[in-house]
Amino acid sequence: MKRILILLVVMALASLTLFSVVTFAAEEVFHGGDVLYSKPVKAVLFSHKLHVEDMGFDCESCHDKLFEMASLAAEEKPDFNMDGLYAGKYCGGCHNGEMAFASNTQCARCHIGVKGYEAITGEGSKKSVDH
Amino acid sequence: MFSKFDIDELQKESMDSVKPMERRTFLKMGLLISGVYAGGKVLQVKPADAFGGHGKGASYKPHYGMVIRQHLCVDCELCVEACTKTNDVPSYGYRTRILEHVEERAIGQKREFIPVLCNQCNNPPCVRACPTSATYKDKENGIIHVDPRRCIGCKTCMLACPYNARYLKSSTKTVDKCNFCYDTRLSRGEKLTACAEACPAGVRVFGDVSDPASKPYGLIYQLQHPVWVLRPESGAEPNIFYTKG
Repeated sequence: MKRILILLVVMALASLTLFSVVTFAAEEVFHGGDVLYSKPVKAVLFSHKLHVEDMGFDCESCHDKLFEMASLAAEEKPDFNMDGLYAGKYCGGCHNGEMAFASNTQCARCHIGVKGYEAITGEGSKKSVDH
Repeated sequence: MFSKFDIDELQKESMDSVKPMERRTFLKMGLLISGVYAGGKVLQVKPADAFGGHGKGASYKPHYGMVIRQHLCVDCELCVEACTKTNDVPSYGYRTRILEHVEERAIGQKREFIPVLCNQCNNPPCVRACPTSATYKDKENGIIHVDPRRCIGCKTCMLACPYNARYLKSSTKTVDKCNFCYDTRLSRGEKLTACAEACPAGVRVFGDVSDPASKPYGLIYQLQHPVWVLRPESGAEPNIFYTKG
């Protein structure tokens, strides 16, 4: 009897711990983090933190209509380019000059270039010039 | 005599940093200092003055030049890749580069990219400095060439260049620089430089800046958008123009 009691207490404690982990996790904002696109050009950095935490958009704002859930799935599509954006696809769904700044303005606000790409990935050591 | 500037060490400069003599030289050129660009001594050339104040006495035909539509550059560096491939540029060297300028205090976009290359100057300091006449200005098209057979690798031209546009090529021990792809493309009938052709955003507009029907001419000789050159105070009369908007 005593053993069963101990077992029950242990089980209760375990489930409580598990439950508290779940509740704690549910309070966290889950999102995809930063997404670094390198196609068709290097590079664009999309920040989930900025769009979800800071600006308050939910997953359904973009998924699955504008972007598949799988990270970087978009850059394998042939229309993932500026013309596609101007046609209202991908980022262009919002970045059209009405909901957010238009895709054909402020190029380097999203584009971080090869320099930005290398700073994040650590690729390409700084070129030394033979002086 | 030659003030070398290290592109990585450049500090932001305000209008106050423009020396009186510099301002005076600039005014003598018929240009008004209306702005200083962070990251380098870049003074805005008022478009109206570009009409009469630039390239006086230059009579090259075609007169090759380039307009950089700076706001469109995203540093994809496809231009650098194309240049490297076309002109056999080693990994440590460069004929063109993209500079990055970050301004945290700016509203919205806080970053911009600035493509730089040899300015093919009308009054080239490098040509004056070269002791062996290895670097010279093409009398027909205005391109600054380096003749590797005459170059002794003394690097004096590298010090003289206001644009840091030259490097020493180890394999030949001679100085190499942008020549608008003259040997690799233009002399073979191509109309564009490799970088201009490779740019997906139409940043680099190359052509005959003396031809009113050319694209660069249309971008330079207008009043709607600002047009400027880098380091005009050097008096080098560069042929790479910058514009935005």
